[in-house]
Amino acid sequence: MTYDAIVIGGGVNGLVAAATLARAGSRVLVVERSDSTGGLANVAEFAPGFRVAPLGLDAGWLPPPVARELGLGALERTLPAVPVAVPAGDREWLALPADIPKGVEAIRRYSPADAAQWPAFATRIGNLTAFLESLYLLPPPDIDSSALHDLFPLLGIARKLRGLGRAGMIELLRVMPMSVQEYLDDSLECEPLKAAIGAAGTAEIRQGPRSGGTAFVMLHHHVGVSAGAIRGRGYWKAGPGALTDAVADAARQAGVTIRCRAEVTGISAAADRATGVILAGGETITARTVLSSADPASTLLGMVDPVWLDPEFLLAVRNIKFRGSSARVLYALDTLPEFPGLPDPADVLRGVLSLSPSLDQIERAADAAKYGRISEDPHIEVQIPSLRWPGLAPDGKHVLVATAQWAPYRLATGAWTAEHREDLGRAVTAGIERIAPGFSRTVRERVVGAPPDLEATFGLTEGATTQGEMTLDQILFMRPVPGASRYETPLEGLYLCGAGTHPGSRIAGGPGWLAARQVLRNRRERRGGTP
Amino acid sequence: MTEEIVPGFKFSVFSYVVSLLRPEIIRDLELPRHGLQILPLESTVVPLDNGDYLGSWADPDQTRRELARHSPRDAEAATLFGRLMHHMAMAVRPILSMVPPDPTSLAPSDLRGMLKFAGHFRSLGAERFHALYKLMTMSSADYLDEWFEFDPLKATKSASGIIGTFLGPRSPGTAYVLLHHYMGEIDGAFRAWGFQKGGTGAISETIARAARAHGAEIRTGAAVDRVLVRNGRATGVVLEGGEEIPAAIVVSGLDPRRTFLELVEPAQLPADVVEGIRRFKFRGSSGKVNLALSELPNFTCLPGIGPQHRGAFSISPSLDYLERAYDDAKYGEFSRNPYMDIVIPSMIDPGMAPPGKHVMSIFVQYAPYNLTGGWTDARREAFGDAVVNTLSRYAPNIKGAILGRQVLTPSDIERTTGLTEGNIFAGELALHQLFFLRPVAGWADYRTPIEGYWQCGAGTHPGGGIMGASGRLAALEILGRRG
Repeated sequence: MTYDAIVIGGGVNGLVAAATLARAGSRVLVVERSDSTGGLANVAEFAPGFRVAPLGLDAGWLPPPVARELGLGALERTLPAVPVAVPAGDREWLALPADIPKGVEAIRRYSPADAAQWPAFATRIGNLTAFLESLYLLPPPDIDSSALHDLFPLLGIARKLRGLGRAGMIELLRVMPMSVQEYLDDSLECEPLKAAIGAAGTAEIRQGPRSGGTAFVMLHHHVGVSAGAIRGRGYWKAGPGALTDAVADAARQAGVTIRCRAEVTGISAAADRATGVILAGGETITARTVLSSADPASTLLGMVDPVWLDPEFLLAVRNIKFRGSSARVLYALDTLPEFPGLPDPADVLRGVLSLSPSLDQIERAADAAKYGRISEDPHIEVQIPSLRWPGLAPDGKHVLVATAQWAPYRLATGAWTAEHREDLGRAVTAGIERIAPGFSRTVRERVVGAPPDLEATFGLTEGATTQGEMTLDQILFMRPVPGASRYETPLEGLYLCGAGTHPGSRIAGGPGWLAARQVLRNRRERRGGTP
Repeated sequence: MTEEIVPGFKFSVFSYVVSLLRPEIIRDLELPRHGLQILPLESTVVPLDNGDYLGSWADPDQTRRELARHSPRDAEAATLFGRLMHHMAMAVRPILSMVPPDPTSLAPSDLRGMLKFAGHFRSLGAERFHALYKLMTMSSADYLDEWFEFDPLKATKSASGIIGTFLGPRSPGTAYVLLHHYMGEIDGAFRAWGFQKGGTGAISETIARAARAHGAEIRTGAAVDRVLVRNGRATGVVLEGGEEIPAAIVVSGLDPRRTFLELVEPAQLPADVVEGIRRFKFRGSSGKVNLALSELPNFTCLPGIGPQHRGAFSISPSLDYLERAYDDAKYGEFSRNPYMDIVIPSMIDPGMAPPGKHVMSIFVQYAPYNLTGGWTDARREAFGDAVVNTLSRYAPNIKGAILGRQVLTPSDIERTTGLTEGNIFAGELALHQLFFLRPVAGWADYRTPIEGYWQCGAGTHPGGGIMGASGRLAALEILGRRG
């Protein structure tokens, strides 16, 4: 039996692509290598009785049209009232509420000047991310095309851009290439506040906050967030897998077949066309179109015979900067640790504790990565998922996930060893102990997931959860590689639909949705229908 | 500025090489007739940490053989890379001669400018556009990583990407500056640098002669205290000492902070312009050390005195070396082991030093303007010592050869030249401070909000280096001849 489309990978993008195609009448098969769909949102046990989805803690941004089309409107997202807190001295915390007037109150204690600035500043960021939102709902602009259907969306973007007003337009053009530190220094003085916002500028990249382009990274991670809610994307109320479960249901209802425990080892091709997939074990399944939600390197370097791709294209794929830079340290805790001075812990601990009190401290942590070393004093972000979803740990016990940066995939000394993991785990425990004395006594078990572990577990090249750093040189028409940003690859019939394509990482289903629409458009055009 | 610091020795005190002077300026002002004479700088030698060296020479074949000695792969890539950079520089060149349009404006001249700008990029074709986009957004280290494997080669090339910025070679935004420096051109040859005979000061003297020949009057020792403004119009200047000179048009070649915030009252300007100029980044990051020498430096990597002394020596042994130099600076210290670009002008132009003796000019980075604790005489000398100590590791005879030493920190550069924070480009060459954002959005066309008051310094597009392009574009705009 030949499918219209086979989708590789049952994570959010693969499932959204499959559902979108099936709803347009295609016969679609999803092949997923693990036991169940869900991808990074999959919860797994890491210590007896303790479970977590270390890479699926926040909800990302679900573009409204995707939610609408797939009937996901009923999904409930919890937006913590205080999405982020940063230490601001001995037993002192800046806990930044999502609500702007409350934010002003929280900031005033540390800087009256910044408190006065806050409403205007938060609104400015909100306007910029709103513009990115509109950019993220469209395929990347094709600078080389003069086709009408390429120009119309561009006009729409131009209109949105004008909608920002003169000051907003200038701000956007100016901010994108800046370092997040320069950008924040322009308006704010309070170090913990700048650290709270700026940490988003270096999330999942190798560079520190003084590097050019990190202001864009910060904006990217606030797309879909209401103004003022720093780090406030929230989480799915029913569980980390709530979204992917709902999309899988929608896909099945549209007629999609989902096969788990089906690992793709190769993409078959004949006469310059993809013809299907080859599974581990040798089974081949044929299809007119293959979409891969695996990252571009895993797909194009790992699954396709290089004879079908030209060397320059392969070189461009090899040049994609993945650079997994963060480790996840998972803790099984006997009790909830105490954080002295933390206001309203019951609320605040549902958000993120970002432990670096200044941008300089984050920058110093990043310095190590430049030389291929693990930070001795890493930037740590703490989340306690068992407070969000009590079922993850036995009664009264807790799961704590620490994201530790920088822990580069490539070490100057060679491969990651058990000792590296141990050192990193100790450094992270010590970092948490500093703001939560007694923490280490509550630890029942600790598991260090370094970038190579994330690579092995989730099939992410270099352990990069981004499927390619979200830096300016790797977004829009440059993602995944220049000249191939419209989801197609040089092998006809093979498409990419994962986070490695526009609009990229943490945009739940965005790449899968746009990729599926590109497949459908190409089909219509080939049939000679209206473009 | 050329000065005698030690009797008999002439120094190009601040800048030291010439490359970016626009050919149309040389042509239009007939500078060769007025004494412009650029002597080519023929080679660059990079001493390596393993005792070897990496050289590049005037003869391309010799350069290729030398590089192949270290990496045959890079020697091949270098040819292609050079070609691409040539194309990229050609692609950017028309923009250097363009008055930046205001992308937010709907005025016909701005819309025309934007269309011209967009049309120019489309004419490049997708492949070159992508290459240019990468140059604009990547770090020089990452960009060069895609081409080369030999670390000292990458380091030396990326060094030109950090000059005059407060960024390390691994920070995005530096690849563009690399291109900026590729645009140096002498007689059409890209990436060719040279000396002006008699020192760099002779260049401005040459241009001054050309200006006088066309009837310009030049008064020196006439510091301007402020620009006279009446009813929103510039009417002249007031010199320190009180003398008033009326004029229909006043053009400031000073940097944006002085032009907008010191020569006129900020109250005379719209608040967003004042705020924009306040945010404009200077962050001087480089210093200069000038040495009077009793003998030439003898580099252990290439012993003896030879043709290499007619060229430059670059202390850039590895990317990590440059990055560490930056790490010191970003936390407020000068680099303990700085990047240095060293030339010996007296080798090319013997008139710069007494017979048998030499002058050495060392461009040094990083020396942050905002040094922790501030610059003092002691700190300046410590900085000079760091430079000499680092150099002596590669040329051990240097310490014994020094007859005189002049050390310039960004703070000295600011005090002597008036360049804010000692930034040699009158404002950082960062992506967010280029083209229609230089110096501030809405006022990148050399005008100011005060009628009759214009800007023409390196703090305007295209900025930085000895290009004269800002001055030329400003003059054309004033004359109503927008290109």
